[in-house]
Amino acid sequence: MRNKYLLPAMLLLTCSCGRFGNKDQHAGSKRIVCLAKQYNEVIYALGAEKDLVAVDLSSTYPPAIKALPTVGYHRALSAEGIISQEPTLVVHDNNVGPEQVMQQLEKMKIPMKTFADSVFTIEQDKGMIRELGRYFGRERQADSLCRILDAQMSEALANGKRYTDTPHVVIIHFGRAMNIYLAVTEKSTAAKMVAWAGGVIPIGGNKGMQQVSAELIAQADPDVILLTDFGYDRLGSIGKIKELPGVAGTKAARDNRIYRVEEHDLIYLGPRTGANVLTLQKLIHAKQSE
Amino acid sequence: MQNSPNKGVFPWLTALLVAAVLLSACLGAIDIHIREIAGAAGKLFYNGSDYTLHERVFLEIRLPRVLFCLFAGAALAVGGVLLQALFRNPIIEPGLIGTSSGAAFGAALYFVAGATFHFHAGVWMLPLAACAGAMLATFMVLGLSGSRENGKTGIVTLLLMGIAVNALFLSGTGFLSYIARDPQARSITFWNLGTLSGANWESVVITAIVVTLCCWRAMACAARLNLLMLGEEEAQLSGVGVKRLKMEVMVINVIMIAVVTAFTGVISFVGLVVPHLLRIWKGADNRYLVAAGALTGAILLTAADIAARLLLRPAELPIGIVTSLAGVPVFIFLLKKKKYYF
Repeated sequence: MRNKYLLPAMLLLTCSCGRFGNKDQHAGSKRIVCLAKQYNEVIYALGAEKDLVAVDLSSTYPPAIKALPTVGYHRALSAEGIISQEPTLVVHDNNVGPEQVMQQLEKMKIPMKTFADSVFTIEQDKGMIRELGRYFGRERQADSLCRILDAQMSEALANGKRYTDTPHVVIIHFGRAMNIYLAVTEKSTAAKMVAWAGGVIPIGGNKGMQQVSAELIAQADPDVILLTDFGYDRLGSIGKIKELPGVAGTKAARDNRIYRVEEHDLIYLGPRTGANVLTLQKLIHAKQSE
Repeated sequence: MQNSPNKGVFPWLTALLVAAVLLSACLGAIDIHIREIAGAAGKLFYNGSDYTLHERVFLEIRLPRVLFCLFAGAALAVGGVLLQALFRNPIIEPGLIGTSSGAAFGAALYFVAGATFHFHAGVWMLPLAACAGAMLATFMVLGLSGSRENGKTGIVTLLLMGIAVNALFLSGTGFLSYIARDPQARSITFWNLGTLSGANWESVVITAIVVTLCCWRAMACAARLNLLMLGEEEAQLSGVGVKRLKMEVMVINVIMIAVVTAFTGVISFVGLVVPHLLRIWKGADNRYLVAAGALTGAILLTAADIAARLLLRPAELPIGIVTSLAGVPVFIFLLKKKKYYF
């Protein structure tokens, strides 16, 4: 029942984060409410954000997006909250809820649109960017983003051929609770990015993230440990992280190869995926680069 | 309720209810002016078709929600009154005999199994699953406690079985949350926090029929519950069929709470706090408590719903958080008082 307590706490924290107090300052006739963080990043990258009037709570990149009003968490929306933004279009990726809210929006004849919602490969990623580019009349910018993405991915894959090792990388997403870690598994988007960067995630499982014991982290004995920003910032220093049960004694702790990463860079593919893979590559192959 | 010393309560509660309903109809992520409400009602009456956006929001989303909230609040409070009288214990609410935990388990099973097996059976599947879970858990409590004492349903046994079955179903929900994928786990969590945002005309009609019938039966039981509060033997000597009364009250309670919980998720504290407040105000006559409880439950849940819609607008807080945040201090205050008004 971990989430039963986590989510109310998260809601209270978000109340104090100030995003709910953001005022609508949009003057145009087109009003878009976008409920998918992945699309929102692309919309900003395309420079098509001028008609964006509100987003969901999980959309946190780029930082400028935090100035927009939010209509709540994308899986706990309310129809009235969305309609109150007077949207001429609601954009979502089918990962929204509750179910009845979408039915209410349909009943109210609020125009809704979904773009590519299964983005697990670079080709699908580029497809999504181009689709959004076409919709917003920004084909040139979309092509440019795709070219940069291709170039960075080619560079990362070419770099990969030069490395002689395949570091084992454990990504701990959410700090710890009673020596239980929420770790990224081999089935995740982050695992794909690590693989493109020339590493491997040694944590199995059916979900993208899974609670694992300290023993499993110790057994995995990773060469590199990446902590997402929330857990890293909460623990405060690498010294404290190295003392954690399971982490202490791993090759990563012994070699000081524990790094902080931004959570949103690893959870979906987008226009910066190539750059993020190159950053990952520098981190996980830091030993060979030295 | 003729010649009742509690007669003065009802005009107050009715006035408060009207005010709460009006506020609830007007306030929210979208503020709807009373003129727009009148306009919408007028067009509905004269078969108009040129509804404005606000008028459509009022008729399709806001009004069913306001009405649903009234019936849900009434049901939760009357459920609390009935169970507290039945158990002769002021700390009881419907959640304690497995109803809420059973409903939560049914809903969680739907969220996990439905997605795992790509099982789609329309919008009614979630309420049906929650309702089935609530009934299963409550009748498990009843069945198990009945067989323990040669067919008699002992109050203490019932209570202990309630605790055991609650633990069983909460563990089941916990297990399902643990194996659930992220979106499913979050759906379970939000369902457990309660929300009225899914109210529609179908749910209003079903809840209205069920809650009205159950409250009517609850009123019929109220005088016998007064006698039961003197003790089971005394009630028996006064001509009350105790076993039948207990069964009737439990069935009323489970049907009413299961149907409401199925549409809203888990909403705590209304059933606990409302009977206490009313006892402090005008005493412990169950005939008064059932009627006034229905009105007060409706008022309190409406007030909580207004708060849930306004606090983070345009986003919305789950109503279970609001009722718990408001209910806990009230409950602690009531417990700290020496007298329980029971």
